[in-house]
Amino acid sequence: MGEPQREPVRGGLRSDQFSGLMLVALALYVGWENRVYPVGTLQEPGPGYMPLLLVIFLGAMGLLIALWGARSTPLAAMKWPEAIRAIVILVACGFAAFALERIGYRLTVIALLVFLLGVLERKRPVPVVLVALGFSFASFYVVGDLLHVPLPRSPWGF
Amino acid sequence: MVETFNDLLLGFSVALQPSILVYAFVGCVIGTLVGMMPGLGPLAGISLLLPATFGLNPIIAIVLLSGVYYGAMYGGSTTSILMRIPGEAASVMTCIDGYAMTQNGRAGPALAIAAIGSFIAGTLGVIGLMLLAPTLAAFALRFGPPEYTALLLMGLFILAYMSGGSMLKTLAMAGLGLLIGMIGIDIMSGYTRFSFGIVELGDGVGIVPVAVGLFGVSEILLTAGGVTAPDVQRPKLRDLIPSREEFRLSAGPIARGSLLGFLIGIIPGSAHIISSFVSYGIERRISKHPERFGKGAIEGVAGPESANNAAASGAFVPMLALGIPTSPVTAVMIAAIMVHGVLPGPMLIQQQPELFWGFVASMYVGNVVLLILNLPMVGLFVNLLRIPYSYLYPCILCFCILGTYSVANNLIDVWILLAMGAIGYVLRKFRYDLAPVALGLVLAPMIELSLRQSLAMSAGDYGIFLERPIATTMLALGLIMFLFALKPLVFKGKDWRSTVGLENE
Repeated sequence: MGEPQREPVRGGLRSDQFSGLMLVALALYVGWENRVYPVGTLQEPGPGYMPLLLVIFLGAMGLLIALWGARSTPLAAMKWPEAIRAIVILVACGFAAFALERIGYRLTVIALLVFLLGVLERKRPVPVVLVALGFSFASFYVVGDLLHVPLPRSPWGF
Repeated sequence: MVETFNDLLLGFSVALQPSILVYAFVGCVIGTLVGMMPGLGPLAGISLLLPATFGLNPIIAIVLLSGVYYGAMYGGSTTSILMRIPGEAASVMTCIDGYAMTQNGRAGPALAIAAIGSFIAGTLGVIGLMLLAPTLAAFALRFGPPEYTALLLMGLFILAYMSGGSMLKTLAMAGLGLLIGMIGIDIMSGYTRFSFGIVELGDGVGIVPVAVGLFGVSEILLTAGGVTAPDVQRPKLRDLIPSREEFRLSAGPIARGSLLGFLIGIIPGSAHIISSFVSYGIERRISKHPERFGKGAIEGVAGPESANNAAASGAFVPMLALGIPTSPVTAVMIAAIMVHGVLPGPMLIQQQPELFWGFVASMYVGNVVLLILNLPMVGLFVNLLRIPYSYLYPCILCFCILGTYSVANNLIDVWILLAMGAIGYVLRKFRYDLAPVALGLVLAPMIELSLRQSLAMSAGDYGIFLERPIATTMLALGLIMFLFALKPLVFKGKDWRSTVGLENE
């Protein structure tokens, strides 16, 4: 289990121990949320019955992963070189999701592509503008106009 | 046999209609392009095209999507051989000897053998599907809720046994997927569960945002910024012809890969990925010159490529005959045909033979189209690979958002997509297999319904699963697999997966 050890980091929490405990925590949280749904009886299981079984199962698996995880990579030795870029991409997509139904598909995609290509990837302005405009209008034409999938338009009708 | 032949003729009368041929062609082209793009495998390709099929009739929709599936499997091998970049996970093994052949100046024969192997395996897989699915469907008519519960549980246990990494992690991910599948209205009581006040979650979490997020977005988050535009060889048509010796060496691996891939394809899990790993391991083991592997052995291309294409056909057997998806791809395809009011399962073949046999015949057609299309046009397709990844991934990301939003015109799906992308990224860093999450999500309502119905039938007695022979057999098989999988964990023995390289996946 886990990545092969790369650095001689001794002691501390291991990656599988950490991820196993996170699963246990998730199971406990879902179990807590599940308390509002009737579990029912064996003859007539209620809406909380199956989630309860699954929470117990997930918790047990998480615990076993944590117990067997002593040989996995130390958590501190895990490398996250792409994490900042990944977070920036996700935040940009979050803004795009927020904007999609407010300013329409085409403007949202243009803004997202200009940010990702121009700001994050530092590409030259002319290709960035060409790709952003081209992709936005071409994809809208193919998906929205040719395939008749309704895509959000801006308040200005475009 | 005569009846099967007549049914197949009915299928060809459907599949050879010009409109369906056009869609098979379009599906194969789109699939090939999608398969060549890193971060867009067959699953993402099918998911993104799903909304476009809503306006089509069900046969055309399934022909188009299966064309994308086949095309993507083939496209992935092209990038593996020419650039050592697996367009999708099943092509990882093809990278090893395929790219070595490219370095040795034999890229053309590697591509040709990959295409020919895929064609033969795909065709044999369809024959297997044609013979096995109706028999299995007829048998499945005897199934009641306890048998379905046992079947689904057996599937999850086998999935854990066959998975690439840790069995515990695979089971945990299946549990996570099943829990995500609990979100939404409980159909037996009407309770809305785990919706956190979000009305849209009443309908549950869809497979498309989860699958595209887990596989597509997480891949982009992992790879963005790390890939530069590589040099790409463009083999000419005359360079594609393999030598007589290469044909001779490939025949055995293609035959073995086809059989192995089809059998593994029926089993739940990332079958096409596992089959290529297992095929490579077997070819290396039985070879008289195993030292050639890794240095450009054509058997290392022929076996895995045949296996993953046969597995793609095998996965359709339980999907069409039982209505049970064994992979995220078939889960999305079930969603696609259910949109048209078609319910895959034992009754499908009896009630809508033209759809089933039309689909089978279209798979033959699709295989021929891929062979004709891909070999002469490989030089054209590789132009796509010249686009720098820094330009490609923002466009792929936009496609992911567009495709997910279009399924239900629902913004919550886009948020789920992004959340799943983040979760998938973290889980992959911790080396968790993501396929069980998608499978669990799709199987959750089926398992819950059949379990609760079984308990209602038996007045709460779990002994019902031991009183019915079919259910008992399936549970026993699942349990045996589970115990086999536990063995190396408890006794520190060597797992079969390590011998075929699956632990390194």
